[in-house]
Amino acid sequence: MPSIVLWPITGSWQFLLQALWTTIVLSVLSMVLAFAIGVVVGALRTYGGRVLDLALGFYVDSMRAIPVLVVLVWTFFAFPLVIGHSLNVLTAGVIGLGVHLGAYMAETIRAGLTSVRRGQMWAALALGMSRIQAIRTIILPQALIRMLPALGSLFVFAVKDSAIASVIAVPELLRQTQVVAGNSFRPFELYTAAMLAYFLLCFPIARGVDRIYRRLAHLGSS
Amino acid sequence: MTGPEPKQRRVGGASAPILAIERITKRYGTLTALEDVSLTVNRGEVVCLIGPSGSGKSTLLRCANALETLDGGRILFEGREVHASDPKSARAVRQRMGMVFQNFELFPHLTVLRNVAIGPATVLRLDRGAAERRARALLAKVGLSDKAAAHPAALSGGQQQRVAIARALAMEPALMLFDEPTSALDPETVGEVLSVMKALADEGMTMVVVTHEMDFARRVGDWVVVFDKGRVIEEGPPKQIFETTTVARTREFLSHLGWHGESTLDTAASSSSEAAQHPIDKEEVDR
Amino acid sequence: MNLDWSVVWNNLPRFWDGALMTIWLSIATMVLAIPGGLILAFMRLSRMRLVAKPATAFVEFFRATPLILQIYWVYYVLPAYFDVQLSQMATAILGLVCNISSFNSETFRAGIISIRLGQWNAGRAIGMTDAQVMGRIVLPQALMRVLPALASTWVSLFKDTSLVSIISVADLSYVSLKIRTESFRIFEVLTAMAAIYWLMGYPQAKLVDWLHRRYKVAE
Repeated sequence: MPSIVLWPITGSWQFLLQALWTTIVLSVLSMVLAFAIGVVVGALRTYGGRVLDLALGFYVDSMRAIPVLVVLVWTFFAFPLVIGHSLNVLTAGVIGLGVHLGAYMAETIRAGLTSVRRGQMWAALALGMSRIQAIRTIILPQALIRMLPALGSLFVFAVKDSAIASVIAVPELLRQTQVVAGNSFRPFELYTAAMLAYFLLCFPIARGVDRIYRRLAHLGSS
Repeated sequence: MTGPEPKQRRVGGASAPILAIERITKRYGTLTALEDVSLTVNRGEVVCLIGPSGSGKSTLLRCANALETLDGGRILFEGREVHASDPKSARAVRQRMGMVFQNFELFPHLTVLRNVAIGPATVLRLDRGAAERRARALLAKVGLSDKAAAHPAALSGGQQQRVAIARALAMEPALMLFDEPTSALDPETVGEVLSVMKALADEGMTMVVVTHEMDFARRVGDWVVVFDKGRVIEEGPPKQIFETTTVARTREFLSHLGWHGESTLDTAASSSSEAAQHPIDKEEVDR
Repeated sequence: MNLDWSVVWNNLPRFWDGALMTIWLSIATMVLAIPGGLILAFMRLSRMRLVAKPATAFVEFFRATPLILQIYWVYYVLPAYFDVQLSQMATAILGLVCNISSFNSETFRAGIISIRLGQWNAGRAIGMTDAQVMGRIVLPQALMRVLPALASTWVSLFKDTSLVSIISVADLSYVSLKIRTESFRIFEVLTAMAAIYWLMGYPQAKLVDWLHRRYKVAE
C-alpha cells in the first residue's frame, strides 16, 4: 500500500476549516428552517381538522418520495425561474435542505403532540386558555421534551444531507475536499479526513442528545 | 324523567341557580352518555353526583364547562347559555369555573408554583409578581408551601391533587367541578384531599363533586344526585338518598358499595374501606 | 416563462431507462444488504469482543457519515490504494450496500433484542438448542417486527440511489441532468425529474404507512 501523507490536509487546513464551518452553518440553518416548518405543519395536522391534515400530508409524503439531490437541484436551478430572481448557493442549499427535512420534522412533531395525554389539553382549557395558548404553553413544551431523541437523529440527518449540497457547489466540507483532492492528487488522505470530520460531528450529537434527554425526561411525562 | 320531585328547601334556593342543566342529551356515535338530564346547582351548595361507573357523571361535568358539545337541551351558567362550540363563549365560561381531574393533570414541565400561577398569568393576564403571590397564598392554603419549587413528578398523588385544587382556585372561580378527585389516590392520601375540599365547602364555595366517597357526600354534600345509565334516577338531600330512599336502583347501588344506611363515626376507616372496595374504573375518564 | 414540454416527451425513453436503473440499483442493493445487515447484527450480538467490536465500529461509521461521501471514498480510494478495479456500477452498489447494511443491522438487532426473554426460555424448555430457538422462534418473530422498518429503509434507499449519479452511473438523476445540460430546458426537465421520482416514490411511501399500521407490534 502506498504511503500516507498529511501535507495535503495540513497545507490547506484553513481552507478546509472554513468549509467545515460552512457545513455547520448550513446544517444549523436548515435545521432551524425545518423546525419552523415542522412545528407549523405538525400542529396544523394535529389540530387543524381533516382537510388541512390531508393537504399537508401531501407535502409530507411528497418529500418522502423525492430525493434530497433532486430538491436541491430544483431549488437552485428551477425555482429562480419561477420567482424571477436568482438565489445564491447557500440560500438555495438552506431552503432545499430545510423544506425536505421539514417534512420529517413535521411527522416527528405530530407524533410528539399526539403522545401528550388528552387530559393535559382538558386541564389547560379548563383554566380558560384558548386552544392556541394551550398548545403553546402546555402541549408543545412537553411534546418537545419527549421528542428530543428523535430531534437529535434529525439533526444528524441535517449534517449528513448538507454534504449533498456539494452538487450545487455550496462551499461546504465535501465540496472543498473535492477541490483540494483535485489539486493535490491525494484523494485518500483528504476523503478519509472528511469522513472522520463528519463522524466526529455526528457521532457525539446523537450521544449528547441521549444524555440530555435522560436528565429531562421527567419533565415530559404526564 | 328526573325521579321524585324534591320537596325540601335547598341551600341557596332563594336566588336563581348558578348552574341550570335543562334536559341535555350527549351521544358519542351510537353510545348515549346522557339522556334528557336536568339538574340545578344553587350558589353556595355542594352537589354530589353519585352512581355506577359509566353512568354519565363525568360527561355531565365536561358538558357543564363547555369541554363537550351537546346533542340536545341547554346549559345555563350565571343566567347565560353555555355554547361549547363558540370558542370565546366557552373560554369565558371556563374562566369562571374551576375543574379538578381524577388524574390531577398537573403540567409536568412546570414547577408546582408555576402550575398554580399559569392560569392567572396567561388567562387573566396578571403580571408575574401578582400571579406568583396569589399562587403562594393558595399553596399555603392547601398546605404545600414547601413544594413550590418542585416539579409534579416529585410529589405524591395526594399532594399533586391538592396542587391541582390550588391551580383551579387561582382563577377565583364562581363554581368548582370535581371529577372523581380521589379515585386515583392511595387510601392514605384520600383523607388529605377530602379535608381540603371540606374546608372549601365550609367557606361557601359552590361545588359539584362526582365521587365514590359516600361518607364525604353524606357529611359535606347539601344535595345528592344519583345517576344510572345516563339518566338521573333520584335527587335529594343526603339524608333522603342514604337513609330513606325508596328508589330500588339507588338502594341496590349503595348496598353494592357496602353502605347500609348506618352513619359512621370514624371517617378515615370508612372512606378508606369504600375506596378499597370500589374498583377504579377507567371507562368514564377515557370517554 | 414560456415552457416547452416537448423536451420531456421526446426523451421519455431515456427517462424510462434511468428509472429502470434506479429500480435495479435499489433491488440489487437491498438483496445484498439484507443478508449483510443480518451478518452485521449477529456479529454485534456476538459475545466474542473480537467479532463484536469491529462490527460495531463499521456500523457506527457508516451511519454517522454521509452516503455521498462514502460513494466518493469507495470510488477514489479503492483503485488507488487497494488495487481493485471496479466498474462504476459495482462501486456504487458497494457503497450503497455497506451503508444500507449498517442501517439494516440496527433494525435487525433491535428486532432480535425486542423478542422477550420468555420466548427464549420457552424454546429452551422444550429442549431446543440455541440455534433452533433462534431459527424457529426468535428470528421469524423478529422479521415480522422489522418488516415496517425495513420498508422505511427501502424508501430511503430508493432516494439514495440518486447519489450514484455523481460517479456517472446512468440512473434517473444522471440521465435527467444530462438531458437538462443538452437541452437547456431547465425548468421542464428538472420538474419532470422530480415528478417521475414522485410517481415512483409516493405509492411506496403510502405502502410503508400501511405496513406500519398492519404490523403494529402487540405484546
